[in-house]
Amino acid sequence: MIFEHEIPSGSKLYFGDVAKKKRSIERIASDVLSEAGFEEIVTPLFSYHQHQSVSDERELVRVNDTANHNMSLRADSTIDVVRIINKRLGRNTTHKKWFYIQPVYRYPSIEQYQVGAEYIDESKVSAVLNESMNIFKKLELEPLLQISNINIAHKISKLLDIQLDAFRHINVEHFLSYNIEWLTKLVYLHTFEQIDEVIAIVPQEIKIELEKIKELCNEISYKNVVIAPMYYAKMLYYDELFFRVIQDNEIYARGGRYKNDDVTSVGFAIYTDTLVEALS
Amino acid sequence: MLTVALPKGRIAEDTLAIFETIFGESFKFDDRKLILETPNFKFLLVRNQDVATYVYHQAADIGVVGLDTIEEQGLDVIRLLNLQRGRCQVAIGMRKGEKLDFSKAEIKVATKMVNITKRYFAERAVSADIIKLYGSIELAPLVGLADMIVDIVETGTTMKQNGLEVVEHIMESTTYLIANKNSFFEKKGEVLDIYEKINEVIST
Repeated sequence: MIFEHEIPSGSKLYFGDVAKKKRSIERIASDVLSEAGFEEIVTPLFSYHQHQSVSDERELVRVNDTANHNMSLRADSTIDVVRIINKRLGRNTTHKKWFYIQPVYRYPSIEQYQVGAEYIDESKVSAVLNESMNIFKKLELEPLLQISNINIAHKISKLLDIQLDAFRHINVEHFLSYNIEWLTKLVYLHTFEQIDEVIAIVPQEIKIELEKIKELCNEISYKNVVIAPMYYAKMLYYDELFFRVIQDNEIYARGGRYKNDDVTSVGFAIYTDTLVEALS
Repeated sequence: MLTVALPKGRIAEDTLAIFETIFGESFKFDDRKLILETPNFKFLLVRNQDVATYVYHQAADIGVVGLDTIEEQGLDVIRLLNLQRGRCQVAIGMRKGEKLDFSKAEIKVATKMVNITKRYFAERAVSADIIKLYGSIELAPLVGLADMIVDIVETGTTMKQNGLEVVEHIMESTTYLIANKNSFFEKKGEVLDIYEKINEVIST
């Protein structure tokens, strides 16, 4: 039995001051991104291509079009934004910097409001990371920024035949059991100040990836930063440098570099609902 | 400052004894108090089944809990270090003389550990009707409530006293030092420092 006051589990309801707070976050984000040269895009709620960006298709809320083709509600904005700009708007615009303020939906009834930005045909993560941290600055928040490079886990996994699961579960005991100095130093690497010492002793292929982290750290002005070279998460599209913005066990934002149809781009998403809760 | 969740009872006592060895000072909860604060640590005394929950939600940065409980709850926490203590088995027990027969159309299993049990039988493509109990699990096969039980076995005495015997081991469990994923990255220096110190004590 469903009561008259019930709303589906996972759906969002904002009103009064909290709705005002949500709008204020979105306005601040919109101002920061517009000033940085990003243009707004609103993409369709219904999509034919979401299975390419959501790793577990069971998370999609599916419907069908008039010809009975599968469609789903937008569960992830990035790939649709990039595809629409490249495939549909390509002849009408050469603009590369886009932002969106729209929710995503997951099965069965999960709604998540997001602010996101994509910089198409750009490979420097700092080009979007600085803007995302500017938004937090304007919101007077100073969460922890974690910088990682997914290639490090992949390369160590191949080099030492360590399963990626060990990285996913951060199996410190296993890594340290190898008694390899550079691997131990990588486990302990935490701050920018320590990175040169580790770069000096890691194998060449890992060195290249650590240098990218170092370069990114040099390109940002934000101070509350940690380096997590061994962090690994199953992600469908980030393929090199990526970042998480965390505080109080919540993820405020996530972003990184990805490739779509051989075009390298960078982007991020800020989780509005989490920020609304943090700021309310 | 690290917040440490400990399960009430022997594991908490053992863990605090390790901290006493490391720091050479006394770590004792005042009578009935659930929080113990020291300059560098805040210890929380919680139910065994709640340790991983406190850590997962970052109410505690690290905790100590049995692997069986971690596996049962399936929460995404970091298993930092096997403390090699509290060794026990999760095992299948049946009435003495009975044999495990997976060819039966349906098997009734009584257990506290529903998820471990479900996984074990699903991996073997065996249809099992799992009955959740909260205690006195050994009673279930004796009164016909279940064909077998899945339970924690340390010495096997309790099963034996109730006319049951272990027919299959599912997993071995020991206590683990666990950590919250975000705490690990936020306080990596502190977490790895205590990891090292505890490792040193348990290795000697």
